[in-house]
Amino acid sequence: MVLLSVPLWLRSRLTDRFWRVQEVLKYARHFRGRKNRCYKLAVRNVRRAFVKSTQARKQKKRFLRALWITRIEAASLEHGLKYSAFISNLFKTQVELNRKMIADLAIYEPKTFKSLAALAQRRRQEGILAALGDGKEPEGIFSRIVHHY
Amino acid sequence: MAVLGAARRRAAAFLFSSVVRLQSSRSTSLQEGIVAKTSLTSPPWSEVKLPNPVEEAKHHAEVVQKVNEMIATGQYGRLFAVVHFASKQYKITSEDLIMMDNVLQAECGDRIRMEKVLLVGADDFTLIGRPLLGRDLVRVEATVIEKTVSWQKINMRFRKKHNYQRKKIITNPQTVLRINTIEIFPCLS
Repeated sequence: MVLLSVPLWLRSRLTDRFWRVQEVLKYARHFRGRKNRCYKLAVRNVRRAFVKSTQARKQKKRFLRALWITRIEAASLEHGLKYSAFISNLFKTQVELNRKMIADLAIYEPKTFKSLAALAQRRRQEGILAALGDGKEPEGIFSRIVHHY
Repeated sequence: MAVLGAARRRAAAFLFSSVVRLQSSRSTSLQEGIVAKTSLTSPPWSEVKLPNPVEEAKHHAEVVQKVNEMIATGQYGRLFAVVHFASKQYKITSEDLIMMDNVLQAECGDRIRMEKVLLVGADDFTLIGRPLLGRDLVRVEATVIEKTVSWQKINMRFRKKHNYQRKKIITNPQTVLRINTIEIFPCLS
């Protein structure tokens, strides 16, 4: 015969509570204080840790780029160039190395970095000369300059 | 402000090139053509002089020939190259391991030639590409070693007091490559 109604003393109870708690606590073992042992405190802090790690993955890209820029600036100042001049002139010469590579080259390949700095300096000088032009005044302009004869 | 700056520049250039002749009896004692050095005698930027183009072309040709000879006779030690691969730039030498964060359509053990080389260097010379070096100049060979999946990164979004939290586990496919050789050929011009 088939029993259609369940007796009142029959309950389904949770049997793997230990493992569910351990799943959360395993991420909290390196925390400080009671939050590495007590589930109630650990749950909140593990959640915060996960959220912070997702945000940090985006910020890491920003920090690393700032670090590379600082390093390139220091290295180019050793060769007498500012970072802005170095990078802008390097890109004007169609050398498309990104900042990570230039920073690595500045650390591990100093001679190559020196040649890149010289290239940027030369392009900068050519750019300045091109911008100065002939040095003559444009025609048909009145100016307050006094002519000494 | 821009007009003021332009006028000042013009004035400074003119003063720099002007000749002062005194119309007094003391003109013989002072030499002609010397202007007292003030803040406006020379322009505020330092003077830029480029070297002689003919001499420079000669010097360049000499350097290129020397480097060609060095490459032809094989006088370089270990070569390093900067390669643009999988939208990232890597600085590689031979016997190097590289990991890319995505899938490569090649089986494990396939030999691959990397074509986008930006820079090749040895101890005494560097070849800088604008932006890439020629295919007949450099040859970079690599072998695919393993194709795995990254460690489990956890992506969690949480908004407080709104009962909103989402947890996602991300695993990126990864490919590991071993750089076998970097070769250069003496075809500079």
